Amino acid sequence: MGFWLELAASGLITGGIYAVVAIGLNLQYGLMRIMNISHGEFLMLGAYLTWLAHTTLKINPILLLPVVAIAMFLLGVVVYRLCFRRIARAAPTVEVIEARSLLVGFGLMFLVQNTVNLIWGADLRGYSFMAEPVDIGGARFMANRLLVFGFAVAASLGLLALLRWTMIGKAVRAMMQSPTGAQLVGVDTGTLHPVVFGAGLALAGVAGGLLSMVYEISPSMGEPYTVTALIVITLGGLGSAIGSLLGGFLLGLVEAFGMHFTNPSLKMVLSYGVLVAVLVARPKGLFAR
Amino acid sequence: MNRSTPIRGIAVALTAAAVLAPAMPASAQDIRIGYAIARSGPWAVGAQVTQEPNYVMWAEQVNAAGGLNVGGKKRKVELVAYDDRSNMETVVRTYEKLMTSDKVDLILPPWGTGANFAIMPLAAKHGYPMLSCTAAGRKLIGMKNPYFFALLQQPDVIMDALAEYMVARKVKTAAVIHVDELFGLEMYTGLEASMKRKGIQIVEKKSYPLGIKDLSPVLKGMQAKKPDAFIGLTYPPGTFLSTGQSKAIGFSPKIFYLAVATAFPVYRDKMTPATVEGVMGIGSWNPKTGAEAKAYFDAHVKRWKKEPDRWASAHCWAGLQILQAAVEKVGLDRKKIRDYIAGTEHATIIGKMRFKGSENVSTPGVVSQWQNGEFEVVWPPQRATSAALFPKPDWK
Amino acid sequence: MSLPSPSRMRGVPFALVLTAGGGLVLATLPWLLSDFLLALALSCLMFAALAVSWSMFCGPTNYLSLATSAFFGLGAYVTAWGLESMPYGLTVLVGGLVGAAFAALIGLAVLHLRGAYFAVITFGLTELTLHSVTYLEKTYANTAGRIISEAPENTVIYWTVLAVTLLAIATAILVRASRLGFALSGIGGDEERAQTLGVNTRRVKVIAFSLSAFFPGALGAAMAVRWTYIEPLSVFNPFIGFQTVLIAMVGGAQTLLGPIVSSVFFSLLTEFLRLRFPYAFLIVLGLLLVVLVLYLPGGLASLFVRRGRQHA
Repeated sequence: MGFWLELAASGLITGGIYAVVAIGLNLQYGLMRIMNISHGEFLMLGAYLTWLAHTTLKINPILLLPVVAIAMFLLGVVVYRLCFRRIARAAPTVEVIEARSLLVGFGLMFLVQNTVNLIWGADLRGYSFMAEPVDIGGARFMANRLLVFGFAVAASLGLLALLRWTMIGKAVRAMMQSPTGAQLVGVDTGTLHPVVFGAGLALAGVAGGLLSMVYEISPSMGEPYTVTALIVITLGGLGSAIGSLLGGFLLGLVEAFGMHFTNPSLKMVLSYGVLVAVLVARPKGLFAR
Repeated sequence: MNRSTPIRGIAVALTAAAVLAPAMPASAQDIRIGYAIARSGPWAVGAQVTQEPNYVMWAEQVNAAGGLNVGGKKRKVELVAYDDRSNMETVVRTYEKLMTSDKVDLILPPWGTGANFAIMPLAAKHGYPMLSCTAAGRKLIGMKNPYFFALLQQPDVIMDALAEYMVARKVKTAAVIHVDELFGLEMYTGLEASMKRKGIQIVEKKSYPLGIKDLSPVLKGMQAKKPDAFIGLTYPPGTFLSTGQSKAIGFSPKIFYLAVATAFPVYRDKMTPATVEGVMGIGSWNPKTGAEAKAYFDAHVKRWKKEPDRWASAHCWAGLQILQAAVEKVGLDRKKIRDYIAGTEHATIIGKMRFKGSENVSTPGVVSQWQNGEFEVVWPPQRATSAALFPKPDWK
Repeated sequence: MSLPSPSRMRGVPFALVLTAGGGLVLATLPWLLSDFLLALALSCLMFAALAVSWSMFCGPTNYLSLATSAFFGLGAYVTAWGLESMPYGLTVLVGGLVGAAFAALIGLAVLHLRGAYFAVITFGLTELTLHSVTYLEKTYANTAGRIISEAPENTVIYWTVLAVTLLAIATAILVRASRLGFALSGIGGDEERAQTLGVNTRRVKVIAFSLSAFFPGALGAAMAVRWTYIEPLSVFNPFIGFQTVLIAMVGGAQTLLGPIVSSVFFSLLTEFLRLRFPYAFLIVLGLLLVVLVLYLPGGLASLFVRRGRQHA
């Protein structure tokens, strides 16, 4: 593999990690306007569940991902019923839903982060899984990073297909455009809302499980991931599954090439610079329709 | 109805607070020792590995032995501890409370360079000696604060030791990365000076910010230059990241050195003992350092079900040993305690320790290396617990 | 600021006198309180000023700005860079002006964004500022942080922060009564309609955004001296901005009193819980926050506003 190709591959793989982090929030925020600022905390919870089950029961963490997804889905339905249903029903406008869900998200952030902290302590944790190099055309990449990349692409495309071509997808999109209209044509928002929110949490949990294979984990790891997720979905355009995948890739590529041509110290300046530049030029993200 | 609920919530919380309030000090005779430390937020990772477990275990051990001997009378220790939420203003406010409202007898320091900086003026103003085990930097020493004592080795001292080791192994070239934080910058300044003195060439140097998620292009660039040594002056995320990615691309120079968190047991556990075999880093000690160190290690494992880290944990324990000796020698007069700390050569689990100004001038820079799951001290020779593996074996 | 219309001026002198009177009472606290309680009062004041100034612009317009930390951090760096050559009071003023100037600059570039996009871009700009400062300091000064060795007395810091807070409240009172405040409400209600009514919405927004940023800038400059060591991560900490938004919104950002009450309420409650429950207090705080938002959607302000009506 040539040097430039390898650099691009490295950027894309990191971009895939960014995209995985964002998928769940994109569902909740893009489709329901629920600004779930505790997204990173639920991701962290998924990471801890995977870590705990893997280190105590010695189960292959990939096999654990569906279990984590189901557990987080159920948790999501409960959280929705307890916290967000009231907001979605009582709020007069979308802006109010956004604002109030943001505040509730803060509360959940404190709650989840410190519950995990209290149960498992603040220490760094981690385990080794698929930490073997894989040779692709002469370049070597870590297997677990490739796994995350693969999941990012598969999940984004799957979501795209689901939203575009299935009945559920049509119902969700109808709900997104007009909740009352959707109800009039027979969409049951009372069921759909908790399901979409739960799916968002399930995806956050799986993302956490995947990241626990690559990076070390701690109770305070969530906030930076929430930020990453917000950046990626705004770059791509809220609610656009493919936009958020491409947003992640863009960020990864800009960092890889930007760091090559300038220096790594500018990494953060580069990624936030891209965000600001894109939003100033296209106030609704790259792929807004 | 809607409006009464939150108020009822607060009332319940208040009642619960009153019911669950910790018992007041059992006896006015207890020695009250106060501190604020991160139990939540980003600083908690370091604070809960290196610092607070030691504080708590020390108090338990002292009390199990009947207390501290003050003027011939045994007095128990009561810890007055708060969470600082990883927030600077909260650190300052809490120490103001400890020193002026709670009027504790002694304090223990908070975690991290920034927080230690922040309370130094208070310590001097109210005359509380602080023995800090997670604050490193010449800038701290340069404050010339008479009540501040830094237990860790200074960055330039650590780097000198590494340079000496490299000379002993006839290493000629090095590639360096460092994190853009006070620690990384001071370490690099120290390293550059040492390398220059010893005639070792730095073939490439890159710095990176916290929050980096991919170092592989940087590492590949260094790999292409075939340096004898790779030196990463890293914080925990960079330590894990550069290990994993160097392994992925097969970058395995003769010396592979990383800074903070290399000494954490979780580093070995996350990367696996086979992978970290031969990786070097900042350390000070391990259970083989001496009988006292072994006893400390075993007690820590027994109490917390986890191993202490092989660098700052033991410095933290040494600080508690010094404080204990000072109190038993001169009583609870804090000025006398300060003078005792400043003017005495102390016996600690990491060896003799003496201060010059704020600096610990006895503990040398140490190079440690992971070998068969233990972080062996390999340099300087008089402290070594094992011979160095050189060159580093290939990644497994 | 444009001339206030007479009808909107009603109650303003009274409110200003009340503010000044309250300020006089609060100014005596250094003689009454212990060091610790004074530090707690300082925190209450700081968050009151942050929340009031945030609500000044974001309340009527429904913008959600997360840039407070950027202004605060810049102010703190003014002190870090300038305290050796300037008196403390001047650094506070300059810190405020730098905050206001920076807000005017970014306001011109981003105030056309709306909703979540505005929130995210202001957050992005804050981080961009943080990392730019880190990079510049590292590259040109070979340092990661600055030491402040000559700090003023605690009482001086307290009076300074009190003065900034009173100024923020007085400004908020005047803005609400002025044509600027009227125009801001118009923008919050329906921006296009406000435009057709002849309001230069862009100018109004930039002026108000910049005015509201003076206070976090001044507070950053005033508070920085308490921490001895100034590094970008601690003074540009995004949580300063998050906490401001949270306090203002829970209090009721459309009101004047709501953010003030809420900042005192939250500062004291957090501290009480922190000292009482050293392990689980953030869980309790999180729960409380959720319950408050769900069952008191109008903010704390709705409590006393409704009660006020009952009395009337």
